[in-house]
Amino acid sequence: MRQSLLPLLAIALLASGCGQRPAPDADTGGSAKGDFGPPQGHPIKAVLTSPPHVPPPTGRDKPAKVIVELEVVEKEMAISEGVTYTFWTFGGTVPGSFIRVRQGDTVEFHLMNAPDSKMPHNIDLHGVTGPGGGAASSFTAPGHRSQFTFKALNAGLYVYHCATAPVGMHVANGMYGLILVEPPGGMPPVDREYYVMQGDFYTTGRYREKGHQPFDMAKAIDEHPTYVLFNGSEGSLTGDRALAAKTGERVRLYVGNGGPNLVSSFHVIGEIFDKVQTEGGTHPQENVQTTLIPAGGAAIMDFRLEVPGSYVLVDHSIFRAFNKGALAILKADGPENLAIYSGKEVDEMYLGDRALPNLAAVSQAAAAAKAGDLTVEQQIDAGKVLFSGTCSTCHQANGEGHPGVFPPLAKSDYIAKDPKRLPQVMIGGLTGKVTVNGVEYDSVMPPMGQLTDDEVANIATYVLNSWGNPGGRITKAEARDIRAKSPVGSVAAH
Amino acid sequence: MARRAAVLLALLPLCGQAAPPGDRYVTVPGGAFRSALRYEDAADGTTVAPYRLMRRPVTNAEFLAFVRAHPEWQRGRAAVVLAEPRYLSQWSGPLSLGDARPDQPVTWVSWFAAAAYCAAQSARLPTWTEWEYAAAADETRRDAREDPAWRERILSWYAQPSTGALRAVGGQPPNVYGVQGLHGLVWEWVDDASALLVSADNREQGAADKLRFCGAAALSTDDRENYATLMRVALLSSVQAADATGNLGFRCAKDLP
Amino acid sequence: MKRLLRILAAVLALAPLSARPATPPALPGDSVYQLPAALTDASGKPVEWRELRGTPRVATMFYTSCKYICPLVVDSLRAIERKLSAAERARIGFVLISMDPARDTPEALARIIAERKLDPARWTLLQPDPADLRGLAGLLGIRYRSLADGEFNHSTSLVLLDAEGRVLARTDQLGADGDAAFLAAVRAAAASGTGSGR
Repeated sequence: MRQSLLPLLAIALLASGCGQRPAPDADTGGSAKGDFGPPQGHPIKAVLTSPPHVPPPTGRDKPAKVIVELEVVEKEMAISEGVTYTFWTFGGTVPGSFIRVRQGDTVEFHLMNAPDSKMPHNIDLHGVTGPGGGAASSFTAPGHRSQFTFKALNAGLYVYHCATAPVGMHVANGMYGLILVEPPGGMPPVDREYYVMQGDFYTTGRYREKGHQPFDMAKAIDEHPTYVLFNGSEGSLTGDRALAAKTGERVRLYVGNGGPNLVSSFHVIGEIFDKVQTEGGTHPQENVQTTLIPAGGAAIMDFRLEVPGSYVLVDHSIFRAFNKGALAILKADGPENLAIYSGKEVDEMYLGDRALPNLAAVSQAAAAAKAGDLTVEQQIDAGKVLFSGTCSTCHQANGEGHPGVFPPLAKSDYIAKDPKRLPQVMIGGLTGKVTVNGVEYDSVMPPMGQLTDDEVANIATYVLNSWGNPGGRITKAEARDIRAKSPVGSVAAH
Repeated sequence: MARRAAVLLALLPLCGQAAPPGDRYVTVPGGAFRSALRYEDAADGTTVAPYRLMRRPVTNAEFLAFVRAHPEWQRGRAAVVLAEPRYLSQWSGPLSLGDARPDQPVTWVSWFAAAAYCAAQSARLPTWTEWEYAAAADETRRDAREDPAWRERILSWYAQPSTGALRAVGGQPPNVYGVQGLHGLVWEWVDDASALLVSADNREQGAADKLRFCGAAALSTDDRENYATLMRVALLSSVQAADATGNLGFRCAKDLP
Repeated sequence: MKRLLRILAAVLALAPLSARPATPPALPGDSVYQLPAALTDASGKPVEWRELRGTPRVATMFYTSCKYICPLVVDSLRAIERKLSAAERARIGFVLISMDPARDTPEALARIIAERKLDPARWTLLQPDPADLRGLAGLLGIRYRSLADGEFNHSTSLVLLDAEGRVLARTDQLGADGDAAFLAAVRAAAASGTGSGR
């Protein structure tokens, strides 16, 4: 027994040792321990991807020389339906291309500025140790290219952005992206990785005002964005561009916040982050609902999808999601898993503090209706209970109504003339002049949209059989037909 | 025949330009001026002496006439150390405009080419201060820089991508001095573009790396909100004297006689 | 009209043949000597910029009343000079162009040569024509701004030119230790003789 445990123990030790994350109370040693020596092997051309895609893991275990070639392009693109904006981009997209290297890599960075750019640009990568993060060495005029080299000493997920004056304007126009510096052992494997970056945008026109919109410096200084968006445009990650995944998969999101101003309260509706590397750092937190991503910062979150559906990525400063566009969708396909999430099971009336002990009558009627042997007496009993919760407020418990205001239900000639009026009025409401028992009333009875068909039937049956009314019954089917014909009640409120 | 030729000859210089009313230059009266840049040696501003400035930027037609008269400045013959390989690349040939319109501001010209053009007119490039001074004006005021509308107008040009064709000169209303197109058309060379000593990382505003610029920190802006000027400085500080871009043209200035 | 233009075109086509004196062999397009510029040396003699062609040179800009960096510039150049062998030294020139032609007269330049004990056979200090100053600075990639008090703010670069005037190397590093890569380039330029056929 003991002998077979030893190899297991060895494997466990190995698995937890080199290459994996350090124990929570240990540290990686930072940049002092991040230099793994000179690059080995042939120089590698970095694979850059456009959002929302992420390059594959480097799969390296030795430091390499990586060549990154990134072009700045100023281009007009849609920011919302029917609204265009001149974006300044790294690699033609907002956010810019995703760069993936490994800690200890020597990166030879080439920045090109397209010849028809109006502006000079440069780049500051937060993963660079050195002046300006590279900005001091990459100031590039239109139609030129510049180059500088740095060693990635610290692992993590880092923002890069243009740092040409006025920096705020360059960032606000979309000049940001992410560079992932993998830890030496690589990122733990998952089934899907996606790239999402939030940014705030400032236009002179209002939200969704059509046409070409210029940048508004005053709004940017006052930090009043017009749009708050994921990946540079409204709808960039919705509809047929939603992120795709399957139930049972482990998904990782690399999420950045380019700003320029706002901090993001990042949340995925319907999911919990099993692990979050807050601020892109080394030691994950577990079981997090909403994580803060600073402007100029990033975070990595892993979660497993158990239930199919559309999961909405939002900035939980919620007006940004629904009134400024900070909304994206992750669509998970797969079989239902009712044990985890059932969907709506019950939709009943809730009486709140009016719930009386004889609510039993309602349940009994419901059970009988299901069984198919609902009697008039059961309807009356249930109707009585329901009446006192809803109708008695105006019509009184004894059906007398309120003189001059609410007509009586007791011995009502209005009801006697046509008992069907009862469910009709309950469903459709009644406004205006009506004469009941010789007295004119001119009031408003709102449609009781919260009542279901069987509730309407039961209450009506109770009223018909009370206080000298002619008797009879209204069935659920009759109530349903009346609702279908009624212009107001045809839409069930629930 | 000879008379017709003489008349046409007289008109030749005017071909390709909408004839400006009268003089090609206006006189810009001098005055006290506070630059948007923080000059350590001129903390309270300077006084700009009066000077003459071209109403409009130099056009393709005007530059074509220049290279005809000065063949050493034709595309393909100008030394690459004086004009980079893309010099006048928007023209179809060294002496033909092709799709480039005669009334568009000439671009893809280097500082050396622009300076040579002005020298041939017995003129010179304006200094940065002269340019900034004239550009501070709008249609009615000599210094409109406090007006957010002035700034917004300029920033909205920065917001337009370069994919459309350049507009013709003269389409914009003249400012209070009678000068047109200082904003919203093209960047413009100035004589002392290389005097804009800014650090490549513009965030280091005022950082005292005195060694780099011999005794002075890099220029920083006095008025951080004057982004319009900041961006112009950024562009000019990013180009070398032999460089050219599709958005960089020029106009000439003259001292007063 | 058309006839006139045809005549004009014919004249222009012939112009290059007569416009300039022939320079055997032709100056390369990337030579800094392509820019016509008039300067005066420390002895008062006029020097056309192109006349410096024929010897590899380390060029820079300075001004005599400069207190901060310019003494360091001279020191850096002398440090390079000292590190060269006698043979190499004989094949390299050092050019300092003043960015303050108003005050850096030939006399002022001569004073510097004397004070710093520079060998005039190798060291050329020049006062440019004010109209050519910006252009020369543009060729060398040196940025400068004149201040109200007569001082200058300027970047500093040492630019290595081959005998034909092409830029081979440049450095912003000053001081006695200097830039090893730049020194190596200077050595290589000296070794390649008069620089033809590069």
